[in-house]
Amino acid sequence: MAWPLLLLITAPLLAGLGSLLARSRRAVEVLQSLLAGTLLIATALVVERVAARGRVSFGLFPEADALSAWFDVILGVVGAAGTLYAIGYLGEQLERGQVSLSRFRQFFGLFDLYLAAMLAALNVENVAIMWIAIEGATLSAALLIGFERSKAALEAGWKFVILSSVGIALALFGTILLYYSSAHVLGVTSETLRWSELYRAAQKLDPTSVKMAFVFVLIGYGTKAGVAPMHTWLPDAHAEAPTPVSAMLSANMLTVAVYAILRFKAVVDRTVGPEFTGHLMVGLGLLSIGVASVFLLVQRDYKRLFAYSSIEHIGIAFIGFGIGGAGVFGGIWHLLNHALAKSTAFFAAGLVLLRHEHKMLERVPGLLRQMPLAGSAILVAGLALAGMPPFGMFISEVLIATEAYAAAPVAVYAFLALLTLAFAALLYQVLRMALGEPVEAGRALGGRCLGFSAIAVLLNVAALVATGLWIPVQLGRLITSIVGIFGAAASLP
Amino acid sequence: MQQMPLQIGSQMVDLCAALLLLTCFAIVAQRRLTACVDLFALQSVFLAATAGLVAFLTGIHHIYVAAALIVVIKVIVIPRILKQVIERLNVSRELVMNVNIPTGLLICGILVILSCFITQPIIPIGFLLTRDSLTIALAIVLIGFFTMIARKKAVTQVIGFLVMENGLFLGATAAAYGMPLIVELGVFFDVLVGALIIGIYTHRLQDAFDSVDTSKLTVLKE
Repeated sequence: MAWPLLLLITAPLLAGLGSLLARSRRAVEVLQSLLAGTLLIATALVVERVAARGRVSFGLFPEADALSAWFDVILGVVGAAGTLYAIGYLGEQLERGQVSLSRFRQFFGLFDLYLAAMLAALNVENVAIMWIAIEGATLSAALLIGFERSKAALEAGWKFVILSSVGIALALFGTILLYYSSAHVLGVTSETLRWSELYRAAQKLDPTSVKMAFVFVLIGYGTKAGVAPMHTWLPDAHAEAPTPVSAMLSANMLTVAVYAILRFKAVVDRTVGPEFTGHLMVGLGLLSIGVASVFLLVQRDYKRLFAYSSIEHIGIAFIGFGIGGAGVFGGIWHLLNHALAKSTAFFAAGLVLLRHEHKMLERVPGLLRQMPLAGSAILVAGLALAGMPPFGMFISEVLIATEAYAAAPVAVYAFLALLTLAFAALLYQVLRMALGEPVEAGRALGGRCLGFSAIAVLLNVAALVATGLWIPVQLGRLITSIVGIFGAAASLP
Repeated sequence: MQQMPLQIGSQMVDLCAALLLLTCFAIVAQRRLTACVDLFALQSVFLAATAGLVAFLTGIHHIYVAAALIVVIKVIVIPRILKQVIERLNVSRELVMNVNIPTGLLICGILVILSCFITQPIIPIGFLLTRDSLTIALAIVLIGFFTMIARKKAVTQVIGFLVMENGLFLGATAAAYGMPLIVELGVFFDVLVGALIIGIYTHRLQDAFDSVDTSKLTVLKE
């Protein structure tokens, strides 16, 4: 039976619909808390089944293999934590009269639609349906980013909607090109768009059109993944969106875009070998880390700080995937830990924003003393994001660096130099916020908001520490099959 | 007997695709916003004609559905929404552009040559009937992209995006006689919702900034 898979996709839809129809705040809160619990349970069941059987499918399109299940873990855990956090965050804004009850309900309707579309994108065995789901998520995200309707939020939303529409259009062109070459081999049926069929037929596909398809897909989904030089929407959107949305953009949207690129990479590598995609991904990865580390250092807005850190980490994962072999393990491990740590960081940043109502980094020192929950969350997340042991990102960064040394010794020097710069910059900024004496009093937060935020932060931190220390058997099995999908490492000069 | 209709059919498909490309140039050369919308609707008519022709010549029936959807959504619904937006915003002309019209047309010409160059190696693997339209599809996508960069008004940027989408549909039809039906339905739905959302955004931009000139969006700077 594969009902957990269906539950994973439909639960957010139902909860979102319920929230739109609900009359009271309490009803929305109960529905969303149920959703968070359901997401966690469904994710665990899907992982367990995929680990045992290799894949689960339901009906025509929903189907999860190891790679889907891995990303389900990321979206399930972070989505659950994000939903809980959003209850607290929006509830606080509701109590302050910054949002009305109807806007409160609308928010959760959109938020859940976004989650459902993202989860659907991961769990369909069809390259074009995946595109439709990602586009659906983009559109709901566009409304979520401009949700607060300030000038800055509208500008950020406009930038996002235009850039990602262009990106997603280019990705569709790439998808069409892949279909163009596969229809030639497999014939015109909907089977032609299934991953498993594409993997099987990959060696017979026309190499030129497959390469061209990958370039379009890389630029297209790369725009959504926030890879430099297509990253310009990302800092604005992350800074101006309501903070629960910033956390979800960083932890989910970027991750799902990388997932889409990986699916294509697996086909393209079978057709033309891993060097072609490897060069492109390592190049873009290095550029992203470079751009991000400069802006990390000079950043004066704490939400933008974490946004640039996302660009850096997606760049690191790109390098891992580009190198291949054990680098793929490094990459997926990095994405998981990044999603957990970054959403924690945004949860903390949101609490600080609620208290101080501005985003200026130098005016919020002494968080550990002033706001113990936000301060310690920001410190833990900051250490994890900087790549300190015992957190998982230390392992993945070391793994990517060692694997890169064998494959591309020149790139690894650039990688380590940029990584050190980003490490120092992020740690410096985070310590500036966490330590010292508070200078402004700000507005105290309500107990309900702090309670929900505490649960969300604890959920994330527990997962972060746990994955830093050991790998559960089921996840280990998933990793083995995922590395199997991608094959041997590339040798990049 | 089979050979002749195929050749004629292929040339008719090419003709329709070429008309699509021609309307692109007309959009780039047009300052009046309502005229741009009309040209977009005309382009969509040609797109529907291409799809209908491909459906007729290949006997693949679900492409008729796609053609009908193009007529309903892109010829009727979206142009109507855009005209309402233009009327409400009270903008009729694009006076200042990032790139002037002659230069713009020249750049579009270069883009067409570029897309010929790019698609040359992969044309031979396509289906005989429609394979040349892949080049035109790429050219339309690139010109739509260029329009979004060259124009400042939010409405024209939306038209640029929709032109890109038309190029994509032509590409899907050219690439493999259309994607499977469920895919096309999903894509249509997304395009429609996307156009609605962009429409909502232009309204809100007008309310907040008193303008739909996107060069006035300068709150967020590094």
